[in-house]
Amino acid sequence: MNVHQELKELSKFLSEYSTSLMAVGVQTSRIVRNSSRIAESFGFYCDMTIFQKTIIMTLRDADSTHSYSTVNKIKPMGLNFAINSELSTLSWEACDEHLPLIELQRRYHDIVSKPRESKWLVLILVAFANAAFCRLFMGDFTSMAIVFVATLVGFFIRTLLLERHWNHLSVFIISAFIASMIGSTGYLMHWGDTPDMALGTSVLYLIPGVPLINSIMDVIDGHVLAGVSRFINACLLIICIAIGLSITLLITGISAL
Amino acid sequence: MINTDFITAILLDGIFAAVAAIGFSIISNPPRKAILIAAFLAAVGHAVRYYLMHTELFTMSIAPASFFAAVTIGLLAIPFAKSIHCPAEVFSFPSLLPMIPGMFAYKSILALTKFMHTTDQAASLEYLVAFFRNGSTTIFVLFALVVGAAIPVFIFHRQSFTATRLINKFAKK
Repeated sequence: MNVHQELKELSKFLSEYSTSLMAVGVQTSRIVRNSSRIAESFGFYCDMTIFQKTIIMTLRDADSTHSYSTVNKIKPMGLNFAINSELSTLSWEACDEHLPLIELQRRYHDIVSKPRESKWLVLILVAFANAAFCRLFMGDFTSMAIVFVATLVGFFIRTLLLERHWNHLSVFIISAFIASMIGSTGYLMHWGDTPDMALGTSVLYLIPGVPLINSIMDVIDGHVLAGVSRFINACLLIICIAIGLSITLLITGISAL
Repeated sequence: MINTDFITAILLDGIFAAVAAIGFSIISNPPRKAILIAAFLAAVGHAVRYYLMHTELFTMSIAPASFFAAVTIGLLAIPFAKSIHCPAEVFSFPSLLPMIPGMFAYKSILALTKFMHTTDQAASLEYLVAFFRNGSTTIFVLFALVVGAAIPVFIFHRQSFTATRLINKFAKK
């Protein structure tokens, strides 16, 4: 195979690989490291620019006489740490065992097509988590029960609407509104001693924790542009949560938060 | 002062933080074995933070306490990353999730909207203070968490960057 063909094939694979990593929420420096590692195992060098929606990448051979560039959109996939972990392992396997490209592509497709955790298990665990979270903010058991129900309903609606590919900002507003409506029952019915905590923690399952951590990590690593765009995206979601919550506060007339 | 009430409170704090970490981490679909480690690390981290914020010896505010909790998580994450061959952030990030200042974050936005609404001079000043207090707490705690968890990664550079490597016999000289 001549060098052009080889560069082209590997470029296509690497741009697919790096956009998947970006989509599942990997920090930028790890994406760069993993992609360069795979490129080096073929004796090439890879340089990339990462934006929130696209990745621009140039692959060149050792003496920079031939190169191939790709621009690829980042597909929406949802956070997935299992893929993050296994694709990182794949890059080391490529480096240590010098796997051929066909084998790399086969393993890559195996990893990406693995099913996620069952959504019912996720739903139950998230509800328990948010109830436990309410306890961490000194809520009593009545408040914990209210938060459990609020999270159960709110998270169910979030998964349902995201499956139907609604705009994710509107999904966050709607589920924050529904969860906080249920959370406010503690106030309206005078249940429990800490109704403010029930209302306050009922929307916390929506907080985009991993994107926030990734954004700060990127800024510290020097990928400031990527970090800031992730941070603004996370802030948009938080603003949506606040909007959903303020609709509840307007309807119920609660002014405690 | 150490008494049984205080110790029980710390332990309960850790247990509930572990439950919270399991639930919040499973949204981002980590490998199964990483979930349990994340729960353990979250329990240790959150209990450390609770201790630092409530002990009478040196009561800390939330940001430095979060920083030391995150350093603890980051240090513990490195040997675990080595033993189960996952990148350390696969379970150190989920274990930070119970400490993410989510409530401060949306409260600062709420204060901002109230500031816009109100016409009362005194109340608007109050909302402005609330916005800056909550907003700065959010930013500082976030940075404290991430920097704290990242410091051990920078110290043990080689170990953490090669954690996902399955065979070490080809390790670079």
